[in-house]
Parts: sequence; C-alpha cells; structure tokens
Amino acid sequence: MQRMKRFFQKLTVGIVLRVVHAALVELKSQDTRVAEEFARMPEGLSYSIYTGHNGPVLHVIWQGGKLRRVRSLQKAGCTLHIKSMPLSFRLFTGQMGLAQAYAAHAFTMAGEVADVMRLARLVNIVESYLFPNIINRRIMTDIPAPQLCFLRTYARIAWGFLTFKYRISA
Amino acid sequence: MSYFEFQNAVKLLCGELALERIPSELQHLNAKRPLVLSDAVLAKIGTMAQVTSAMEVEGVTPAACFTDIPVDSSLAVVNKIAAFYREQDCDSIVAIGGGSVIDTAKGVRLVLSQDTDDIFSISGLENVTNGRHIPFVVVPTTAGTGSECTGVAVIKNDENGVKMEFLSPFVEPDVAVIDPRMTEGLPPKATASTGMDALCHAVEACTCLQANPLSTAYGTAAIRLIAQNLETATVNGKNREARFSMALASTMAGIAFSNSMVGAVHAIGHALGGVCGVPHAVAMTILLPHVMRYNLSHSAGDYAALLPWLVGMDTAMATPADKRAEAAIEAIEALGTKLNAACGLPLTLSAAGVSKDSFAKVAEFAVNDGALIVNPRAATVEQVVEILNAAF
Repeated sequence: MQRMKRFFQKLTVGIVLRVVHAALVELKSQDTRVAEEFARMPEGLSYSIYTGHNGPVLHVIWQGGKLRRVRSLQKAGCTLHIKSMPLSFRLFTGQMGLAQAYAAHAFTMAGEVADVMRLARLVNIVESYLFPNIINRRIMTDIPAPQLCFLRTYARIAWGFLTFKYRISA
Repeated sequence: MSYFEFQNAVKLLCGELALERIPSELQHLNAKRPLVLSDAVLAKIGTMAQVTSAMEVEGVTPAACFTDIPVDSSLAVVNKIAAFYREQDCDSIVAIGGGSVIDTAKGVRLVLSQDTDDIFSISGLENVTNGRHIPFVVVPTTAGTGSECTGVAVIKNDENGVKMEFLSPFVEPDVAVIDPRMTEGLPPKATASTGMDALCHAVEACTCLQANPLSTAYGTAAIRLIAQNLETATVNGKNREARFSMALASTMAGIAFSNSMVGAVHAIGHALGGVCGVPHAVAMTILLPHVMRYNLSHSAGDYAALLPWLVGMDTAMATPADKRAEAAIEAIEALGTKLNAACGLPLTLSAAGVSKDSFAKVAEFAVNDGALIVNPRAATVEQVVEILNAAF
C-alpha cells in the first residue's frame, strides 16, 4: 500500500512539474507579469528542482528568450531540493504554497535567494491559473489576478503537449 | 501552522564578569590560537582590548587580530579573513562587535568549515552540511542585531550591492557573551536605533508566516523588555540594569527571528542599506510602523496580541479589542518619537538622507529579498514604492 502511494505521488509530482513548465512557457507570452519577470531574468539562469529521494526532477534553463527543459544540468544556478515525496506532493497539488513550504523548511536551496524569489513569484502566478480560487486562498496570502481565462491557459498547454512543444531540448 | 522547527545551540554567558569566562570556554572547545575579529572603532576606543585583556589574564593570547571590517562587510572581506586565518594558523574565532563583525565572522567560519575559498560558492538556504568544527565565540557590543544567536549571516555582495543571506544552523556560534560592560559606551543614537532593530526583529518574528509558539514566546518577552528599558538605556547609558535588559532582549529577539524569519521591514531595509547606504538599524526604525500599517489587513490579530507586551496588560485590556492592532502600531510610533526627542533618531527616509530617485531600485532589490517570502502580505515593486513613499 505504501509503495502504491509513493508511486502515485511520484507520478503526480512528475506530471505537475511538466505542467508547471508548460504553463510558464505559455504564460510568458500571455501574462504581462510573467513576461516582465522573464525579461528581467539573467540569460543562462538555470533551475533544478529535485523532489524527495529519487523523485521526479525538473531542469530548466532560460536561454535565447526561451525557457528550455533539459535532461540534466551539471550545476544549476539555483537548485531546490524538496525534502521528501509527501512534501513534494503537497506542494505540487495545491495543498501547500511555496511561501508555506519555505516557512515549513520543506526544501533546501543552493544558489542566490533572489532567484528563489523570482521563481516564487512566477509559481504563484502559474498556480493562480492552474488551481481554483478556493485552493489559492489557502496557499497564498494574496492571489495574483488572472489576466486571461484559465480554460484558455489549459487549452494552450494541452495543445502544446499534443504538438511536443515542451519536449526536452538537446 | 502545522509544522515548525526550532534550534538554538548557542551557550549564553550572561551578566557580570562574563568576559572573564571566555578563556575557560575556549579551553572546553579545544581552542588555543583564536583569531580575534573586530572593527577599527572598537579597537580604537578600547572595547576590543577589554576583551583580549580578560582573555590574556587567564592565559589565552590571541594568535592574531583583524580589525579592518567595514560597517557593511562584503563577501570579499570574508574571503580575505578566511585566508588570513589560514596564514596565521589559527584554530578558532572570537568576534567582538556589532552585526557586521559578527556576520562577517559567521561567514568566515562557514568558509573554513566547508573547506572552500569563496563564500559565494556555498550561498543558499540550509544547503551546507556540518563540515569541520571551528570553535566560535562572539561578544556583541550592541544590543540590537541578536546576531549572536541566529542561524543567518547577512553579507553584502559588492558586485551588485545586494545584501545576501546565508541561512544555515552551522553559522550559529558555540558561545555568546552578554556582558553589560560591552554596551555601556554605546552612544545614545546607536543605543536607540539598535534597540529599535531588536524590536523590529521581535515584532516580525511574532507576526510572519513562519512564526511558531516557541519563537513567539521569545519574541514577546523581548518586546516587553524593550518597551520597559529602551528609553532609559538611551537617556542614561550608564544604567547597567537597563543595558543588560536590552542586551537580553536583543538576544531573545535574535533567537525568535532565527527560528521564524522576519518580513518586509527587513526585505526593504536590506535594500535601503544596499542601494542608499542607510544603516540597518535606522532603516528598521523608520520602516517598522509603515510596514505594519501595510500588513494590517492581514495581521490585525497578531498585532493586537502584541499590545500587552508593548504597553502593559492594564492599558491593553482597557483598549477596545478592535482598536488594539492600531494601538500597537501607535505605541511603536510613540516610542520612536520619544527616542527622536532624546537623541535625534531619524524617523523618516528624508531625514535619513534617502532620495526618492532611489525608490525604484530599492523596491526591485526588496522584492528579491528572501525575508519577503514570509511576510504576512505579499508585496510587488509598486507596493514597496508606496511603503517607501509613506516613510519618506
């Protein structure tokens, strides 16, 4: 039962990580606040997000105006390591916000704090589209007002997955 | 909050003749060749000598001294001191000073214990492992930073002017020496501003998203001591009782915020320090009531709960429940006004020499500061500029 639970959590976290990346790619051209964050992001800044022990990992790099998902990074500019799979599951299923995760010492970070703050703002905006307000009110102190319909965001993400838009870059 | 962590492994030596106990502590830590860190002012006025004499009398002579630590220390200074420590073959650190000296010493200890040459390479949050143990004793000479008991070091990156935070339980000293003699010579203005810094630590620790029952116990006790003693310590610096109470309050506020973080006052204050060179404690004094007003919609209950500690139980209970949060802010403003009258402590950004032209850059730095993530209310660049305008 425990193994089944862990498998389900890993699967869910893996999917949500992919969706978060996809949402960032889509919102970069749809939401002015996301666009501004990316405009200020230093070229080559990279993030690695590790979830628990042997859990799913997301490596992304901001390069040439694109947020590329890559197979691995030797050393990311900012590496987040969420301490366990149950914590990762809570974080990526709307049971815990990033600020709450920080407050609960749910992750460690190597790199500059400013880069985590950048990511936190982006994730808050993404979550405001992906989760209904009843969830957002529980995990955020202030919910960023959406600039477009969440259904449109979901539709663009779905289309992106169907057309392999978010596949791993070489 | 359903989960919290609390750590304070620092041994505190508090009260009369505390300095004279340092040699015994160093012996327990197997330290024979301490590097003494301080700043030029403390070396000049004899405060550093007071500590080293107390050590020498009991047979411990510093292997070397380094006093070239600036007010806003930098990553480069930390790396330079770590190299000096190795050159001089030291085996421990004794830091004598205010926040800048102690935070620099913490950085040096981190570099040495992690066997690296560059502190920048290990920046992050709780990301380093235990490493080599470097015996570390601190003697605070101000009653404000609480740095002697915190798991964070704030050090400026000179390349971009950003004050970086290094959070790790392994930066906590082994021993902190709270001796009232160390703050007796502190001028009134520095006493007032550092005391307000301690108040800010306590208030933010009790009201931020990471607040927990243990940190709040320390924070509220610190607020009570500050409310009762800061004005006396400022006006009559020789009052040893008030000095000692303020030193304890500062330490307790440090323990509180080390275990629950701070908030927007610190995020904006760090940025003001980095961009405009406003001394940290002055920035805290000016910003605290304005940020509290900004947070009021999200933190009224928490602020109301602080009122008894600020003004006493009788006055707090006589205040209508729905007015207590605002009364807590007014009590802090009233304390600032008294200190302003007593020693000219600046209460506005204009009085501190800040120009409005810098607000955009300050706000941009502030939203990237880690302290903002646990502020009870989120803040955008535009909202930080509004707070700065209110404080101008």
